[in-house]
Amino acid sequence: MQEILDFLRGPAFRFTFVLMVLGLLRILILDIWGAVDAYRRAGDKKLAWGDAFRKTVQWLFPVQRGFNKRPIYSAVSILFHIGLIAVPILLYAHIQLWDGSIGIAWWSLPEFWADLLTITTMVFGFMLFLGRVGSANARFLSRKQDYLWPLLLIVPFITGYVCSNMAVSATTYQLTMLVHVLSAEIIFVLLPFTKIAHCVIMPLSQFVVALCWKFPARVDEKITKTLDKEGAPV
Amino acid sequence: MRTKPINEEERQKAFAPVRSEEIAERQNLHVRYNVEDFDVSERPRRFLEAFAAILRHTNYRFALDHFVRISAKCSRCAVQCPVYQATGDPHDIPCYRSELLLSIYRRHFTLGGLLKGRLTGTGHLTDEKIQEMADSFWNCTACRRCTLECPVGIDHALITHLGRFILSEIGIAPRALVVSTREQLEGKTGNTSAIPLPALMDTLEFLEEDMEEELGVKIDFPMDVEDVEYFFIPAVSDFLMEAETLMGIAAVMKATNASWTIGTEYYDAINYGLFYSDRILERVIRKLYAESERLKTKKILIGECGHASRSAKYYVPVHCGGDKAKPVLNIMEYTYKMLKEGKLNLRPGTITDRVTYHDPCNIARQGWIVDQPREIIRAFCSDFVEMKPNRRENYCCGGGGGTVSIDEMRPYRTTVGGKTKADQVRETGAKYLIAPCANCKKQLRELMEDQGVDCEVVGLHDLVYKAVVFEEKKKTEDLIAKKG
Repeated sequence: MQEILDFLRGPAFRFTFVLMVLGLLRILILDIWGAVDAYRRAGDKKLAWGDAFRKTVQWLFPVQRGFNKRPIYSAVSILFHIGLIAVPILLYAHIQLWDGSIGIAWWSLPEFWADLLTITTMVFGFMLFLGRVGSANARFLSRKQDYLWPLLLIVPFITGYVCSNMAVSATTYQLTMLVHVLSAEIIFVLLPFTKIAHCVIMPLSQFVVALCWKFPARVDEKITKTLDKEGAPV
Repeated sequence: MRTKPINEEERQKAFAPVRSEEIAERQNLHVRYNVEDFDVSERPRRFLEAFAAILRHTNYRFALDHFVRISAKCSRCAVQCPVYQATGDPHDIPCYRSELLLSIYRRHFTLGGLLKGRLTGTGHLTDEKIQEMADSFWNCTACRRCTLECPVGIDHALITHLGRFILSEIGIAPRALVVSTREQLEGKTGNTSAIPLPALMDTLEFLEEDMEEELGVKIDFPMDVEDVEYFFIPAVSDFLMEAETLMGIAAVMKATNASWTIGTEYYDAINYGLFYSDRILERVIRKLYAESERLKTKKILIGECGHASRSAKYYVPVHCGGDKAKPVLNIMEYTYKMLKEGKLNLRPGTITDRVTYHDPCNIARQGWIVDQPREIIRAFCSDFVEMKPNRRENYCCGGGGGTVSIDEMRPYRTTVGGKTKADQVRETGAKYLIAPCANCKKQLRELMEDQGVDCEVVGLHDLVYKAVVFEEKKKTEDLIAKKG
């Protein structure tokens, strides 16, 4: 057990973490590259940068916009996201691991807040799952990954909480820790290839939309030629 | 405001078949609009070819890549969509509509989709999917209200726009729009309403006489005057249906000593390309711009029409020289500017009946023209009430996205698309509903009639016409009064 855990905490963690970072970098670069290319091709380069920026900020911190419609869902979703981002990055135990391995440390959450956010993330993540199962509209739209993601995302939180706050036997601890690390690594691997990629490219959305409505100049002739429709009536 | 879903009787009315079964079978297409006969063979292959050609020459590809990566299927957009609110049908949730096209993109144009498709042999484009898109994309009014609500920033209207474009390339587009556009680009009259030039000249002459009689001021519609400031071009249907709007605009131009002209070689700002084809959009824009070049005007002034204003404002720079292209204005921007600069006087309290204002989606959604008309209205109307929500968050009239020009869709438009708008108008208790858009006006009149709302639909300049103060005339009247 300990050997498996050591492997998961060591090489497997490094591999999956690097894979996640590279995967996210890849889609971020592809997105930015696509935007730059679209801008180069756009017939009109005048973009409403300010408007796109305003909308981006509005959705990155969706306090005002989010509560206009479906306030309960919005609150649950926002609090879930806060915990999801804050706890893994700002947990003292995680920072210690980074410090021990590469010598970098940063500010950590006080224990009370870390525990509270862990609990809210578990609860609200499960509520998001229930919301999806319970809403006819959401069920109609959902793919498998839409049901699985909230459940998968709360696994490291549940296991992490058990390991740090509950008095369990050494074997249970090891097993729980194994699930904790393994679930995090599964998340790392899947993250760049699924909808969770929005964690890095969502801030670009408003610029992507604004750019896409700026069509390239004079495409009529090119499309007409490609589709062999020259001389065809409208 | 949140409208109640339609009842069974309204549903039957809205979704009654509009095409004969024989035509639907022959075209293998069950939709709520008429379509000219087209090649029905190998539709999936031809759809994919058209899709590929469009992706190759446009900017859609990177946006689709972005959307397929982030689409979270949260269904939040449903709360903003007036069509979904009326039907309660999950097929009308904007995110579902977008997925119709995104799934094809994912399956046929991404590496992962191609591999998965090969391995599983599923997910490929079928005739049934084309049928569903042809129906779904034209149920949408393209109001873009859903874009306000998507937390990850997907523009569902952009996807609908692209979907309609691809469908049109394989021959699936509403006949009403295609026939009008054919006349505009290739017909003798060169406009969507097929109004010959002599008829146009007669109409304008008649309106000039009317204005002189009513206002006691000689007001012209200048034709083909070169080197002036503004090339004025309204939706051509205004010449037939909205004479009062045109008279109001002419009165404003006269009162402000504007240097302007109408062109005789091209006088139609309607651009149905915005609704179904970027190729058509571009051709119409180029035709409009060529007329302004011929007349050597400095600016282009679009009449009261939302989609014509949006298409000209945003696509004249795209297709006619970027920064160097002539500026495009909507007539309300002009009137507002003159009012603010003190060059236009409107008699306060001219209209005492209650008025309300409908924001046309194409000029309001991006916040372009929202405050200007309100300031104009407040200058001469004493009882102005707002519909809620309004401005950027307004509800569509129900005839957006070109559907208003498809007569066979009227039961759908006035029962489903415009249901919320009818409720909004009813709630204001207004006598006049100001709708500064040719399409919105037509739809709203039909909507008021079909939904039994007692409210007169007018253009903004229809009312401005009654309030314009002509300085010369005023001076003469003051002098007479003094002497008297």
